[in-house]
Amino acid sequence: MTKPHDKLRGLPAARKAVLSGLRFTSLRLRLVVVFALVALTAAVSASGIAYWLNREAVLTRAQDAALKDFRQQLQTRAGALPPNPSQDELQVAAGQMANSSQRYSVLLISENASGDQVFGYSDLDAFTLAKVPKTLREAVKKEQPVSSGNKSPYHLYWQRTTDHGTPYLVGGAQVIGGGPTGYMLKSLEPEAKDLSSLGWSLAIATALALVGSALLAQAAATTVLKPVHRLGVAARRLGEGKLDTRLRVSGTDELADLSRTFNRTAENLEKKVADMSARDEASRRFVADMSHELRTPLTAITAVTEVLEEELDAETGSVDPMIEPAVRLVVSETRRLNDLVENLMEVTRFDAGTARLVLDDVDIADQITACIDARAWLDAVDLDAERGTTVSLDPRRLDVILANLIGNALKHGGSPVRVSVRLDGDSLVISVRDGGPGIPEDVLPHVFDRFYKASASRPRSEGSGLGLSIALENAHIHGGEITAANSPAGGAVFTLRLPRDPSPLTAEPHADRVGEPDGADEDDAGERPGEGKEQS
Amino acid sequence: MTFVPSLLLIEDDDAIRTALELSLTRQGHRVATAATGEDGLKLLSEQRPDLIVLDVMLPGIDGFEVCRRIRRTDQLPIILLTARNDDIDVVVGLESGADDYVVKPVQGRVLDARIRAVLRRGEREANDAATFGSLVIDRAAMTVTKNGEDLQLTPTELRLLLELSRRPGQALSRQQLLRLVWEHDYLGDSRLVDACVQRLRAKVEDVPSSPTLIRTVRGVGYRLDTPQ
Repeated sequence: MTKPHDKLRGLPAARKAVLSGLRFTSLRLRLVVVFALVALTAAVSASGIAYWLNREAVLTRAQDAALKDFRQQLQTRAGALPPNPSQDELQVAAGQMANSSQRYSVLLISENASGDQVFGYSDLDAFTLAKVPKTLREAVKKEQPVSSGNKSPYHLYWQRTTDHGTPYLVGGAQVIGGGPTGYMLKSLEPEAKDLSSLGWSLAIATALALVGSALLAQAAATTVLKPVHRLGVAARRLGEGKLDTRLRVSGTDELADLSRTFNRTAENLEKKVADMSARDEASRRFVADMSHELRTPLTAITAVTEVLEEELDAETGSVDPMIEPAVRLVVSETRRLNDLVENLMEVTRFDAGTARLVLDDVDIADQITACIDARAWLDAVDLDAERGTTVSLDPRRLDVILANLIGNALKHGGSPVRVSVRLDGDSLVISVRDGGPGIPEDVLPHVFDRFYKASASRPRSEGSGLGLSIALENAHIHGGEITAANSPAGGAVFTLRLPRDPSPLTAEPHADRVGEPDGADEDDAGERPGEGKEQS
Repeated sequence: MTFVPSLLLIEDDDAIRTALELSLTRQGHRVATAATGEDGLKLLSEQRPDLIVLDVMLPGIDGFEVCRRIRRTDQLPIILLTARNDDIDVVVGLESGADDYVVKPVQGRVLDARIRAVLRRGEREANDAATFGSLVIDRAAMTVTKNGEDLQLTPTELRLLLELSRRPGQALSRQQLLRLVWEHDYLGDSRLVDACVQRLRAKVEDVPSSPTLIRTVRGVGYRLDTPQ
């Protein structure tokens, strides 16, 4: 009955453990994500700004230097050309201009004496007029009105272009006063390369910052979560009943405070539980001592009441008829008191854990028959058991169990009481079924409780109120179980299930003798000191 | 004239002593009483009872010690009266040489039945002798000799040996032996048999720890063998 219960209780516990594990990791996850986001934002914005500023600075500088140089070259070289230069002259001038430190290609266009256009290239492969954007050409050619704000009719124009993925700066100007038109083409590839390597460096730095922040977050999470985890473990241990669980308190932070609170709580709990178990122990010892103390006078009374009883049964009638009922009452109540004290002693032995199994191999059918016979129940009980089934058990305890189960069945259920025995694998199963009305559902879970009465108004039964509880304890000490149920066919059924071989339960030297071979007998060794004394 | 057994009751509690004396006397025993172990031992040397009923919890030397001292010189039957049936008490009592034990609060009739059963063990039976190796059991004279020497056996040990020797080579279960020797009902304590077998082995076996005569039969009980 208790097994499925345990399973049910076990399931939510397992789920809770998984949930707490998830929560634990998610806290860590959250910390890592937040750290990473912060690091990412900071790194990306910082490197973004740095990249953009750098890019502008580098490009502008390169461009300014190139254009400035081009302007000068154009003035000095192209300005020195004759008004209608020949192709060769242009070519030479272009070559000279391109030879400057800024490394650009130059294209000079002019009109020769016959009015044809002549071109001078510094590098025919790299730079032709086709590479100059049309808009630039038009802007360069365009003559602007000279005013106070504009001193010259022609200006230097530039534009950035891209050709086959390579960025270029194209600039152009017309020499004022009918000079040639000059164009320059400067590759910005080195600058682009520098910028892209800068970009890479920044990206790598960002990535490193991300990794660093993740590691930092891990470390931070660990420093926070480790104490939390320790606290969780300690709380679980406390819940499992290890009340001496304490946490090591270090530092003065909130977690240390929490640990201190935990320790105080555990301490209080331990003290309270110790108090309670001490009180429990004291009351148990009181019951044990009391039953011991009751025994001595009871022994004397029992011996004497027997004398009285014999006197009553004697034919001579030596007892006054007026006193006879009194004597009978004393005799019967003494017997009941004896049973009660006996049962109390039995219960205290179980509570104190001093009850021991004394195993013997018995024929189960014989044993049950003897138990029924000894109590004159043979007529009221049907026994369904095969002879010849030998089981290892404590015959005295089996007798207590059977006497209580059958006695209970006869008292509350009434005959016919059916006792059936069968072997089920490694278990011996004895069921006791009565022909009564069965047990009410609300009483069923309590039938094995000590001194349980179905209702306060119910008349006190003859039993001690301990019988079924003792029967159950006796089954438990065998490693067995008794269950109570109502049969569908009517009547209550008590089922006793005992292991066929409970010898592993009896580690005591004197209990496990049956299975030992000659000579190596455990009691051979155990009793030798006694024999030594005896012989001396 | 019927035989009236004489008993020595050693019990410290006045009420129990008086009540048991009353009860046992009514059952037809002659009862002498002592309140302490020392008094009991003194009384034992003065008059020879047929049986001793001995309380375990005694002031001064306790019942176990009294039992051991008696066994040093005497083989007369002893029934222990124990207030606790804690198992350790019973085992110690049986190891110190008691023949049987009764748990308080004892019913006079039960005690009487045990006393009579123990006393019956010493009764002679007309029968022949049996030989098991160096061991000779004379059932007529109720004596056991080993290598020609008389063995001092208590009546219980003797009866156990007789019951085993009646069925040589056949295993007897503890419950059977309890019924045959101790005349207990079906709830007999099998430790009585084990304790008595140990004591008997100590007396009849050459090496008690590796017995050749009284053998343990796994899962059954004991068997008396003729050594090869």
